[in-house]
Amino acid sequence: MTWHVSEADLRAYARAELAAPMLWSADTHLASCAECRAVLAEVSEPVDLGWERLDAELDAPRPGLFERLLVRLGAADHTARLLAATPVLRRSWLASVVFLLVATVFAVHSSGSPTLFLALAPLLPLAGVAASYGPALDPTYEMAVVSPVHGFRLLMIRTVAVLTAGLVLNGLATLALPSYGLRALAWLLPALALTATALALTPRFGPVLAPALVGGAWAALIAIADAMADGGSLAPFTAAGQGAAATVAALAAGLLYLVRDRFDVFLRSAA
Amino acid sequence: MTSTVSASGLSLHYGGTRALDEVSLRLTPGVTGLIGPNGAGKTTLLRVLATAVPPQRGEFTVLGHDPGSLRGRQEVRRRLGYLPQTPGFHPDFTAFEFVDYVAILKELNQRSARHGEVRRVLDEVGLGEVRGRKIKKLSGGMRQRVALAAALVGDPGFLVLDEPTVGLDPEQRMRFRELIAQAGEGRTVLLSTHQTEDVAMLCHRVLVMAGGRIHFDGTPAELAAQAAGRVWSSAERAPHAKAGWRTGTGTFRNVGDPPPGAELLEPTLEDGYLLTLDGYGMAVTA
Repeated sequence: MTWHVSEADLRAYARAELAAPMLWSADTHLASCAECRAVLAEVSEPVDLGWERLDAELDAPRPGLFERLLVRLGAADHTARLLAATPVLRRSWLASVVFLLVATVFAVHSSGSPTLFLALAPLLPLAGVAASYGPALDPTYEMAVVSPVHGFRLLMIRTVAVLTAGLVLNGLATLALPSYGLRALAWLLPALALTATALALTPRFGPVLAPALVGGAWAALIAIADAMADGGSLAPFTAAGQGAAATVAALAAGLLYLVRDRFDVFLRSAA
Repeated sequence: MTSTVSASGLSLHYGGTRALDEVSLRLTPGVTGLIGPNGAGKTTLLRVLATAVPPQRGEFTVLGHDPGSLRGRQEVRRRLGYLPQTPGFHPDFTAFEFVDYVAILKELNQRSARHGEVRRVLDEVGLGEVRGRKIKKLSGGMRQRVALAAALVGDPGFLVLDEPTVGLDPEQRMRFRELIAQAGEGRTVLLSTHQTEDVAMLCHRVLVMAGGRIHFDGTPAELAAQAAGRVWSSAERAPHAKAGWRTGTGTFRNVGDPPPGAELLEPTLEDGYLLTLDGYGMAVTA
């Protein structure tokens, strides 16, 4: 016998956690090596416990399509399950967003102006993030708050996933407006600014009122800019407007970080 | 006996409402019942002790940790099981997936160990056979057991149950009581309930709460004894009784100060509860 399975691998083997191809090598080797079998017996947990774990593993229901997709994309299985529990990452929500974007793109093509799309696109990620955390739409909110996972961490995991999904969908819609070039991407910085501002204000105003106020402020800003426009781009979509959006996004992100511990207890509207 | 939970002067106001008013208590292993009328502050007290809502005044420790600090709060939550008044579920999850989700929230990230724990708690509440069934297809009693299983993940030292028997039929309620009694062996359970039968059958100690304050703290027998000599039977409803109702035999059972020569009855836990709450606008008439 020229080699032996390392003790670490034998421990993993005993826990049914040794991955292929090392698992295949260990299987073959153990069949013919009494020395390794003896070490395996020493490092193994009691047989019943080992069987129970193996049984539980074999018995675990197969995760859904969305979770399997996330795992394939490299997410840890526990992160995938946390995301699968995010209310807005459901087909019905995503389908509504897609429908809205498609309708808006058609409206832009018929009106000949991208303003409607640019005004609407920042609101979709804002609404998605607002609906992904808090008592209004997360049925397990109360259980999540009293869990040892910090509320801000859970919020960030969900926010990143929802923002990514929302921005990708917005981005795909942007591709359907090639004639406007980079102008069609002017929704991106306002989207980040609105989302970060709403999250930063959530501990003060609650998870429903804060995004509603921010969304309302955005709608008012667009209406005012539209009334003051003289045929060119609306102010939020000019270079100066984009700079202002980037500044607001950065300031709101800083404020959000400062108030992060407020997400670890019941939010205002839930208490 | 060493206290699992020790609280002193807990106060919390919502606007002008005193949800908690200088509440002090000590909880020891076993099942402690918390009863009181709607709006008494029971759910607020449970949420404070479960670290979901910080008190505006007062301090408390759970299992030796102070939830006032971030680290202390995390330590408490690692040893806490919580079943809220209306537990929410992701309806598309199976029972296994839901409890697995809660186990992840409790930081059990190692997959095979976590799955073993999920299976253990589902077996413990008698749902091992339906663990692969979607929650939306389970009965109300089964859903409540799923929520209890989720609360039991990680073998918590302090279990907080907010009205877990509401909405269950008598058979489900009895089954659930068995599970709570089992859960109370070796750990501290705080059980909020409207059912005095729950307290009589399960609790070694009972707290009566109203108006944000605790008005009684003792054993169920001591609570029943509050009504000793103040429960009597009569052919007609006694006009000065605090509470009175016609029983199945056609006679009236009255609670309050009896008239001379009245036929006294053995007081129950409910009689003691009603008299303890006297003055809080809760009279039962029939």
